[in-house]
Amino acid sequence: MPRGGLIATGLVGLALILLPPLSGFHPYYLYLVSTGLLFGTLATSWNILAYAGQVSFGHAAFVGLGGYGAALASLHGLSPWAAIALGGGLGAAGAVIIGLASGRLQGASLALATLAYAEMWRAIAQNWDEVTGGGAGLIGIPALPTLPWPSPDVSGGRAGGYYLSLALLASVLAVFAGILRSRLGLALAAIREEEERAGLLGVHPLPWKLLAFGLSGFWSALAGGLYVHTVRVVEPDLVFSLHFSILPLVMATFGGVGTLLGPAGAALGLYLASELFLHPYVPAFHQLPYALALIVVALYAPGGLGTLFRRRRHGAA
Amino acid sequence: MTPPLLDVGGIEAGYNDLTILKDCSLEVRAGEVVALVGPNGAGKSTLLKTLCGLVPARAGTVRLDGERIDGLTPYAIAARGVALVPEGRRLFVPLTVRENLELGAFLPRARARQEETLRLIFGLFPTLQQRQSVAAGDLSGGEQQMLALARALMTYPRLLCLDDPFLGLAPPVTRRFSEALGELTARGMTILAAGQHVRRLLRLADRAYLLEEGRVTLSGSGPGLLRDERLRRALLELTPDVER
Repeated sequence: MPRGGLIATGLVGLALILLPPLSGFHPYYLYLVSTGLLFGTLATSWNILAYAGQVSFGHAAFVGLGGYGAALASLHGLSPWAAIALGGGLGAAGAVIIGLASGRLQGASLALATLAYAEMWRAIAQNWDEVTGGGAGLIGIPALPTLPWPSPDVSGGRAGGYYLSLALLASVLAVFAGILRSRLGLALAAIREEEERAGLLGVHPLPWKLLAFGLSGFWSALAGGLYVHTVRVVEPDLVFSLHFSILPLVMATFGGVGTLLGPAGAALGLYLASELFLHPYVPAFHQLPYALALIVVALYAPGGLGTLFRRRRHGAA
Repeated sequence: MTPPLLDVGGIEAGYNDLTILKDCSLEVRAGEVVALVGPNGAGKSTLLKTLCGLVPARAGTVRLDGERIDGLTPYAIAARGVALVPEGRRLFVPLTVRENLELGAFLPRARARQEETLRLIFGLFPTLQQRQSVAAGDLSGGEQQMLALARALMTYPRLLCLDDPFLGLAPPVTRRFSEALGELTARGMTILAAGQHVRRLLRLADRAYLLEEGRVTLSGSGPGLLRDERLRRALLELTPDVER
């Protein structure tokens, strides 16, 4: 595509992305798209880890840690912004802890360990009544404050949430784009391709993997914190749900593991297809797009949709 | 007297219940080319893997410049300047030639010399310079072997270990490769090369060791060993080495 065309496409895309709140979308639809954007952040975070060859079945752990951390901090009087950031730090720490297991476990064993890890946190949230409120969870989480800019119409309520979700997605995409261009990306690709070989070149795998876990956990937890401030409740089965572990995996696989925009695009597409079209009309089948997406990708585009029209970087397939 | 660059003293190593190396000792002095020959299964690859920390030594010592390196992790040993070109190349095949080379220069001491080493490598193998943005997996077998050597050179090694460097190479590539190794040694590189291409290795080498059933059974100058009757009996009839 010529440069001018690329810029024009970018501007049209940007307008389409910024427009919904301004054009008077129903708040429910704004909420749906915001949630889709949060799934985009999750799928991209998941992808950062997958780029290093580490497959997680437990991202709900990080979403939940971010959610509970932010909710508790907010309920104890911290400003929502600080609370969400704190939740992000908690999620990053939680991710680094399970990342330590990747020093010993690989592939399916690591995936199962992450799955068990998320379940462990769910059980803790379920049973630690004094702190987490147990199975009933925590209610009364303050709403996100109205952004100081540009005007209350578009920077508070659902519109504000929409722009925050968008900004969060943009930030994780920027981080991943930076990784792809940096020595960190090179190290992660080498670890993914062959850890032992990377070690023989002096690349100590564990610290790099922990960094990938930390980054992935941080952004997943920020999404979790933003989410609980949007829905304003937090429950074990809501944020530590298997949904938050499996959907990012499905979305990233469908969009193309290792591609920059594939996972986020697939997240938005699949989530909106499920919620906008299937949920209202055939509620029993609203999860169908995720299953179909996996089947289609496995059969026709094993590297994910993103690889069909994207050039390779660091050999991401 | 300065200690040898590499001093292997009575190591024992193996996999699970299997002991491959038994009381194996050898040394490599700085600037030397040392060949390690022996029949299949004698333990040549295991010895190189033990030096690099991929296989733990159960007994004995490995010293680099007098300092013990046995028991260290592969990355710590790499950081001290031991590089291995493994059997079968093992490149990062989806990554480009350039990315493979940059990964070689990941350590700080190697990165400081990255441009200098790249000039040396592109001088030895101009084809790698032309094909920098090609995926390593799309290179020919000979080019892949060149890249494997080049990537090891990028680590700025003090000791370069080669495991069967001529395996599966066409004769012209083998010659090109021998010449490149010759140029490296002329620049003072220390090389420990194991393999089955006995004649070619022994012609390159200052000294050589014959490894049989995990023990050094014979050592001497490369050309001298080539004339040794016992080596002939032990090896030459057994190996697929047909070059003259």
